[in-house]
Amino acid sequence: MTGILEFIGNFLNTLGPLIVLPIVITILGLILGLRFDRAFRSGLITAIAFVGIFLTVGLLGEKLSTVGQAFAERTGTGLNIIDIGWPAASALAFGTPVGNLIIPIGIALNIILLLIGLTQTLDIDIWNFWHMAFVGAIVQYITGSFALALLAASVSLVIALFLADWSAPLIQKHFKMPGISIPHLQSAGYMLLAVPFAWVMNRIPFLRNLKLDPDTVRKRLGLFGEPIVLGLIIGVLLALLAGEAPLDILTTGVNIAAVMLLIPRMVAILMEGLTPVADAARDFMTKRFAGRTFHIGLDSAVLIGNPTVLAAGLLMVPIEILLALALSPLGNRTLPFIDLADGPFVAAMLAPLVAGDVLLTVILGAIVMGIGLIFTTLLAPAVTAMVVSSGAAVNIPAGYASYTVMSDAAIPTSYGLYYLFQTPVVVAAIVSLLILVGLYFLKRRFPLGEKAFTESADVGEKASTESASD
Amino acid sequence: MKKIYLVCATGIATSTMLRLRVESYLREQGVEATIQQLRVTELHPDRVDADVIIATTSVPDDVRGRAQVVDGIPLITGQGATETLRHVLEILQSKS
Repeated sequence: MTGILEFIGNFLNTLGPLIVLPIVITILGLILGLRFDRAFRSGLITAIAFVGIFLTVGLLGEKLSTVGQAFAERTGTGLNIIDIGWPAASALAFGTPVGNLIIPIGIALNIILLLIGLTQTLDIDIWNFWHMAFVGAIVQYITGSFALALLAASVSLVIALFLADWSAPLIQKHFKMPGISIPHLQSAGYMLLAVPFAWVMNRIPFLRNLKLDPDTVRKRLGLFGEPIVLGLIIGVLLALLAGEAPLDILTTGVNIAAVMLLIPRMVAILMEGLTPVADAARDFMTKRFAGRTFHIGLDSAVLIGNPTVLAAGLLMVPIEILLALALSPLGNRTLPFIDLADGPFVAAMLAPLVAGDVLLTVILGAIVMGIGLIFTTLLAPAVTAMVVSSGAAVNIPAGYASYTVMSDAAIPTSYGLYYLFQTPVVVAAIVSLLILVGLYFLKRRFPLGEKAFTESADVGEKASTESASD
Repeated sequence: MKKIYLVCATGIATSTMLRLRVESYLREQGVEATIQQLRVTELHPDRVDADVIIATTSVPDDVRGRAQVVDGIPLITGQGATETLRHVLEILQSKS
């Protein structure tokens, strides 16, 4: 069995995503009931998006890596691991062998779990299966095993579904969005880590009374919300501190601004390719589960427009930079960069834990990202391998800076599974199972409810123990 | 020409889904419109220039005053999608 899987893994790797993805997407589309021309078109657009992504990820290439290294040396900060950002990472993750197969596997696994009643979430957000592909990619890097990578990716998918079920009551109530849940690790993945801190902070009256107005923050820091401007500023500062010549400083700034605009445009093409399949998957699943109640699993992006989330996300920009500097004596080498624009994703599911208070959300965000920066540093070799071995033609000269991706490598589940799957297979399998059983118990007995979490703080009741659902 | 903003958290993901749906609906209805995808943080009340904003995430109140905002989530979940599209069309037609 393992031998066959390894053979499949090698085979997919040899063919590459430009050949494998159109075939997988076309076949999947046909299975889900799309007409052949539409399914084929989806597959082809997906492959075309990859051509564009590989071209634009090349922009990050050697130049940025040498600038990063010069910055780290001249400033003495040691921050020489560059954050390539989620748009590039998502595409590269889909381009790995596990990523090629993650969409059909994810849909199948979700349907099975719904059928046997282990989850209430119907995840129609197949785009975000890339987070599972990312876990697969880093596990494959460290273990060299396609079978283990598939297993780790599947475990992360079940974790995402269980976290979605667990947090659904709170999320639905706080954001007034009935019927949804968020199986999106980029936000949900931080919740368990943040819960104990939130519990403590909700009980400190001093903190609860410092109210920050989200609209003021948004007006003052609005510039950080525009990725191209943010890219220009960061690029110029980085090149300046790296001691580049004046013209090179401006060129670097414009190049980073270009990365902020161009890679996401390519990723939008990828979305365009995947959307008809996503629709077909949604209709396929909803038809089969008609009459049953379940939560529709969505991207945490739907929560981002919330004023607290936006304000906290903007405040995260300077905080992440300061954290990176402050934590460098403790081993951080990650230089926050492209994913600075995506603070709201970190804040999205932390805000409801503190009843939407901006300051408390930012404190929670700082705690999880502080820990997260150490994870991103530890995962840099795996991410660098993913970038270099992709079709993006990025060559990093020996001894120069390496890459990481702040949004995804910082999620505790990413590093957790990466670490776990380095242990003997039996240990990894048993611990994974224990984690899943634990999460299942947690979501059945202690579903997250707004009342239990915040209001009870005033009367001093136990937190998060609102009546269990069963 | 009518102008539509499609707004999501990234300007990439769910707004692309919205675009595919809105485009094909408007084509069926024979309505022409310029469509622009934006991330919600790029929405600035003084620079809004649209007849209708369809958003998959909540839109700040100061922007709501500048253009009519329609909830785009039904277009993502598929539940209530037709009603939402019809509502968008009504808004566009009422503008002319």
